[in-house]
Amino acid sequence: MNAIHTIITGVGVFAAGFANAGAWSAGAPDATVEAPTGEALDKRSRRRASRLTRALSDVVAEAAAQAGADLSVVPTVFGSALGEADTMIGLLDTMWREKAALSPTSFAMSVHNAASGLISIAAGNRGFTTSLAADYDTPGTALLEAVGLALADDLPVVVACADEAAPRDLVPDAERFELLAVALVLARPGSPAAANALATMRGPVFEAPTIVGAPARDELARNPQIGLLDVVDAVLRGRSGVVRLDRGRGRGLAVELGAP
Amino acid sequence: MPSAKPLAITGYSVLNALGASREAVLDALAAGRTGLAPATLPLPFETAAGAVTAALPELPAALAPWSTKVARMAAHLVAGIEPALAKARERWRPERIAVLMGTSTAGAEATEQAYKTYVEEGALPADYDFRRQHTYGAVLHVVGELAGARGPAWMVSTACTSSAKPFASAQRLIAAGLIDAAIVGGIDTLCAMTLQGFHSLGALDSRPCRPFSTERAGISIGEGGALVLVERDGDARALVEGVGESSDAYHISAPHPEGQGATDAMARALAQAGVAPGDIDHVNAHGTGTRLNDTAEAKAIAGLFGGDVPVVSTKGYTGHTLGAAGATEVAMALFAIEEGFVPASLGAEDKDPAIALTIPTATTRGRFRRVLSNSFAFGGNNVSVIVRGV
Repeated sequence: MNAIHTIITGVGVFAAGFANAGAWSAGAPDATVEAPTGEALDKRSRRRASRLTRALSDVVAEAAAQAGADLSVVPTVFGSALGEADTMIGLLDTMWREKAALSPTSFAMSVHNAASGLISIAAGNRGFTTSLAADYDTPGTALLEAVGLALADDLPVVVACADEAAPRDLVPDAERFELLAVALVLARPGSPAAANALATMRGPVFEAPTIVGAPARDELARNPQIGLLDVVDAVLRGRSGVVRLDRGRGRGLAVELGAP
Repeated sequence: MPSAKPLAITGYSVLNALGASREAVLDALAAGRTGLAPATLPLPFETAAGAVTAALPELPAALAPWSTKVARMAAHLVAGIEPALAKARERWRPERIAVLMGTSTAGAEATEQAYKTYVEEGALPADYDFRRQHTYGAVLHVVGELAGARGPAWMVSTACTSSAKPFASAQRLIAAGLIDAAIVGGIDTLCAMTLQGFHSLGALDSRPCRPFSTERAGISIGEGGALVLVERDGDARALVEGVGESSDAYHISAPHPEGQGATDAMARALAQAGVAPGDIDHVNAHGTGTRLNDTAEAKAIAGLFGGDVPVVSTKGYTGHTLGAAGATEVAMALFAIEEGFVPASLGAEDKDPAIALTIPTATTRGRFRRVLSNSFAFGGNNVSVIVRGV
């Protein structure tokens, strides 16, 4: 696969103990940070939003603010391997266990693109947004969709990936993970949006990694989005090299990071 | 939005309540025969649904752990484009052929059955595997293996635009030089949860849906899928000329009342195709049969195209196939181009006088050179695709 070059201009992170990318890079977890806030959502949307959607909203807002990206116009790409699986299990419980009518709000919020929709509504963005999944290749493929968009326009592109713990009843404990959300803002080299460069990025491509993933507890490291956290970690530490986006569980997509 | 180089459509396959082949679906459309029938799923209400009744192939032994209805439907669709795929594999390296699909339910049909067993018996079925049978990646794996495609693979899940958006993704990846061909399309299966969910929203008709009718009372859900092989160039049957994408930024589950997002998507598709509204010979509407959708979409179409272009909803035949609707209706657009007819818009005989459009209620024969297909979704997500004959 040919390699595409883009510029990373913003990053965002949410994980338990880490409210933002700065907290992650500082390496000191704050036990009071347990849940994402969804502050950037309007009040009505925030009330309806799942933890997953709130986390995505938080990291999108953080990355966009750092990049100076206007969320009312920029394209957004959302990735999640499982999407709103917890919401779906809640609906199945209602249907099979309680034998009750489904909540229309819960049903509307069970779609994979709930975050994409609510964040576009909150920002008043009538442009492009999408939501995709590809198992452990979700970070790599979300970046591929984003670089395609970045090349097509002068606007920066926000790519945000998150996964919530897999449903407890359906997945063995050894495979479960905890909530992680990560966002990047990408811009085409030479475009006005590329001015605030944090790092250069080549790819995604299929290449062997030269940078080992950041240390993370098992419950975080099993999250399908851990590779994107490795990218952000390398960017924040100013490291250059190839970062694998799937930690060996997917097809091997990676990006090469360099100094801006 | 600048014009884009058209993509060559070199093959496509369809599967839905009308049948399991292009010919079977065409026969039903030409005859005005619906595939909707009373739903047989266990539901506490009556509704019509478009179920796939065709026998589906078992997966090869190596893919047996992935065997769900949605995976077997996907296998059937891959077999339908195999002649074109074989030629593509001769032209392009496997890693230059992408799999870009869409779904709203993925393996939810398998999971809801497994979860029912779990609730009733305290354990999941022994052969249930969440990762291989539920996740979005599971179908991608099956399609990639069966098609011999090793390029980028992802599943768009933007509800009812899920399988229309991959056409745009393929455009971008080909334009960026990352791939040469892509299997695009989508697939969805009937689930009790989906039917109950739409019922809870008051969006489900108890009778077969009647898009654009005065009496329309909601949607009928269907299942099925369509795959389209698009290539950088080649022996094209038709071309993807333009894809327009937009958001309503209005409401999570209701369309903008004036169809603003729909207008934006159609206008962007026209701009990318480099054509004027008058160059469109037929519109395959999203046309769900809900009062809000049909009214908003009609305003948008009339505002952009006027009232003369024939507009048809094919959901009266197949039901709303949700994540598969976008690709299914691109296939319907290709039928109009290749076969020279537009089917009757089933259920629209008593047309709503507020719908200022030409809605044919009988088969219309003619030359349909360029067709626009609309898909709109929860989240206010909108996609319009323009295809042209060669």
